[in-house]
Amino acid sequence: MIDRAFDLLLIGGMLGLAVQVVASRALFRSVVLFIALGLLMAVVWARLAAPDLALAEAAIGAGLTGALLLAAYRALQPAGEAGDAEPAALPRRWALVAAVLSGALVAAIGWAVLGLEPPAASAGREALARLGESGVKSPITAVLLSFRAVDTLAEVVVLFAAFLGARVVAEPLGRAGPGPRPDPAGGEPVLMPLLLRVTVPMGVLVAGYLLWSGGHQPGGAFQAGAVLAALGVLLRLTGRLQPVAETSPAERLALVGGIVLFSAIGLAGAGMASAVLAYPEGWAYTLILLIETGLTLAIALPLTLLFSGSAGLRWRGR
Amino acid sequence: MAAGGALSLPLAFLLPLLTALVVFLLGARRAPWLPGIGALATVAAVADAVRHVAAHGPQAYHLGGWMPPLGVELYADGLAALMLAMTAAVGLAVTAYAGPYLHDGHHHQEAERFWPLWLVQWAALNGTFLAADLFNLYIMLELVTLTAVPLVAITGDRASLGAAMRYLLLALLASLAYLLGVALLYGGTGTLHLRQVGELVGAGGPAAVAAALITAGLLLKGAIFPLHTWLVPAHSNAPAPASAVLSALVVQAGVYLVLRLWLWTFPALLSPAVGWLLGGLGAASVLYGSLQALRQSRLKPVIAYSTVAQLGYPLLLLPLAAVPAAAAQAWQGAAYYIVAHGLAKAGAFLAAGNIRYSLGHDRLAGLRGIAPELSVSVLALGLAFVSLMGLPPTAGFLAKWQLLSGALGGGQWPWAAVIVLGGLLAAGYGLRVLAMALAAAPSDEPVRRPPQRLPRRMVAVPLLLALAVYLLGVSAVPALRLLEQGAPEALG
Amino acid sequence: MTQAGLYTLAASALAGIGVYGLIVRRHLLRRILALNLLGNAVFLLLVALARRHPGYVDPVPHAMVLTGIVVAVSATALALVLARRYYAETGLRHLPEDEG
Repeated sequence: MIDRAFDLLLIGGMLGLAVQVVASRALFRSVVLFIALGLLMAVVWARLAAPDLALAEAAIGAGLTGALLLAAYRALQPAGEAGDAEPAALPRRWALVAAVLSGALVAAIGWAVLGLEPPAASAGREALARLGESGVKSPITAVLLSFRAVDTLAEVVVLFAAFLGARVVAEPLGRAGPGPRPDPAGGEPVLMPLLLRVTVPMGVLVAGYLLWSGGHQPGGAFQAGAVLAALGVLLRLTGRLQPVAETSPAERLALVGGIVLFSAIGLAGAGMASAVLAYPEGWAYTLILLIETGLTLAIALPLTLLFSGSAGLRWRGR
Repeated sequence: MAAGGALSLPLAFLLPLLTALVVFLLGARRAPWLPGIGALATVAAVADAVRHVAAHGPQAYHLGGWMPPLGVELYADGLAALMLAMTAAVGLAVTAYAGPYLHDGHHHQEAERFWPLWLVQWAALNGTFLAADLFNLYIMLELVTLTAVPLVAITGDRASLGAAMRYLLLALLASLAYLLGVALLYGGTGTLHLRQVGELVGAGGPAAVAAALITAGLLLKGAIFPLHTWLVPAHSNAPAPASAVLSALVVQAGVYLVLRLWLWTFPALLSPAVGWLLGGLGAASVLYGSLQALRQSRLKPVIAYSTVAQLGYPLLLLPLAAVPAAAAQAWQGAAYYIVAHGLAKAGAFLAAGNIRYSLGHDRLAGLRGIAPELSVSVLALGLAFVSLMGLPPTAGFLAKWQLLSGALGGGQWPWAAVIVLGGLLAAGYGLRVLAMALAAAPSDEPVRRPPQRLPRRMVAVPLLLALAVYLLGVSAVPALRLLEQGAPEALG
Repeated sequence: MTQAGLYTLAASALAGIGVYGLIVRRHLLRRILALNLLGNAVFLLLVALARRHPGYVDPVPHAMVLTGIVVAVSATALALVLARRYYAETGLRHLPEDEG
């Protein structure tokens, strides 16, 4: 009873926020509400027995996407401009067409899901049954890095491709990312250095823990990479990391090293194990941890650089 | 746990990917030879895959040694092998062409950025042709999109940025429509494997909704009328090597997947009405694209509209597939069409790139009198257009002939009429361009700036592509025999 | 109705809101927000469907969503930087009306 009420409340909140994101007159409000929606989604994932997703959603879906959206909002909204200079709304008949179209979509999907019987067998059921063969104890890590490892490989390449693409259309350094910072020599809140001195090592520690724990409980390279990227965002915003126009050799290595390592271990599987992307008997856990370590950097660095809007970053400290 | 199948299947994905990563690591300037080596290695892997399919029938490679539904399968039948081979030919040509095109002094930054993007894209295209898994296909499609959009925007001018923005928004919508359909299919069948889903999904309501969402997404990615609007600005504003891969490969991957999924995953849903609907959209693309191509005043938009038209033909297979007397020939024709169009279109865009590179513009009215100076490029353009028109002895002719005799043999005269009309219209826009290019320079014209000299390799590559179209027109038996390997049971 | 059923219906409503927003709002940032709403709807559908099985929660859709979240942030980041550059070059925050 209380469970049902909580679900209804969550769904109501989620849909209400989504409507506001679309309908709100002020763009800034839409952006903020979208971030709030991301946090609510994290609760939904937890509610639906998906703690891995809750972690990833909070860090990436709400956190990093939110930071990217806010930076973009600022760039598209020059200071001093009153209100949102939005293009004229579409004529009313278009809104009607859109309403009919999206209504039909809702009806079709709703109708389809109601008619959908859960299958007797599923890939997931088999994954749970054969978890022992994967070498790790967390079913999701097993799916991501063993059963369907090629998805994960391709997905990190997607992130790399987004970084490459962002370089193609990049703005000049001064305007890119979160934009120009107020005079860096000028003061910052007194507590900031102290706060960073605590947050940064904590963050690294948390990332390391998430990475290591992914083998047997929620966590793994995605979550660890997202936490590191959040730290990168923090350091970029406070000026400790400065954007630069060149990617250093070390950064290049961090960007692609994990993917190269993953591919190389995958290829070696053709000789040392039964197939490409198979692990030799008894080595699965070690190799998966090694791959995940490489992937953590291959996730954290492009995300940080995408936020920074630069090809590279240099430590400037204080 | 065994992989089965040829190792060259995963290599066709991994080799271009690893090349891209190493090129990025070292920097394209420091290793200008590396993309070429990676391209040759990829071609070798593809050649081996094709050889395996031709000799031993369809190949299934189980990544990680996990059988579906647990693992992801790479699957190469004759159709996939033919797509890989066409992509390898175009990929090799574009790699050879882009070297001198980008390293001529004023494209330095573009070169640094072009190589990793293009090589990742090649990997993703091969992955798209090979993946027998609906979710892996989603990632591959996103990878193709996220590499294609920057290639559109690479020149950074207003027109290309707007075109890239529109393309990205629509392509992301398409991906999500596709993924929505995949979610429904997995929810109903518990598997993501193309043929397993096909066996379990049936023809009920959820399956129909899923198929509609997936098809809408793929038609948008494949720029089929009326979802084609983004294509022309995107393809005609990109630099020549990018235009070539976008038109010859990227959009064709979308059309390929429409055929793949309807014939292998949703055959139960392919009723005559659905076939007519999809074939009708294809026919509308053929006619609309050709008519628009006739009205353009610049060369690259003519070629881009011709892409819209050419993408429509393979869809004509879907209404013909259920007609026993038409199916077999229409199948060969549709598959051959994708190959013929890919090679001819890459040749046409690279030849147009030469003309633009040399003259500094591609206005049709300004093409008069270029034939003596740009004879080889004009020849390549002409040969490519002859195949797009469907005249013998080209691969385009053969493809059209198979489709047409399939349609006539099955008594399907409306589709036959579309094929003939499309050919006539293509002759119209093709001859219009060639007439301009072959005309003598107008005598009253002020002195023109002398055309820029072309690097020899840029002259040769489009001609070689055009000649390949003729080779495939004269000697079609190996390719057609390859297509028989694992031809869909749904036919006829 | 089961919990999973409830959330699948919520997912279809969320998809509708996203598509509606994508069509009627023209500001590039709003279009990107709308696409993300649609993405969230797809993820929600996957996770809700994974919850219907008696006796177990299907990990495969969870892995798909985890992958999907990273793909979504990649695509969003590229779309945002492209929108910013487009604005810097043209002064426009929306695409001109479709032509032909």
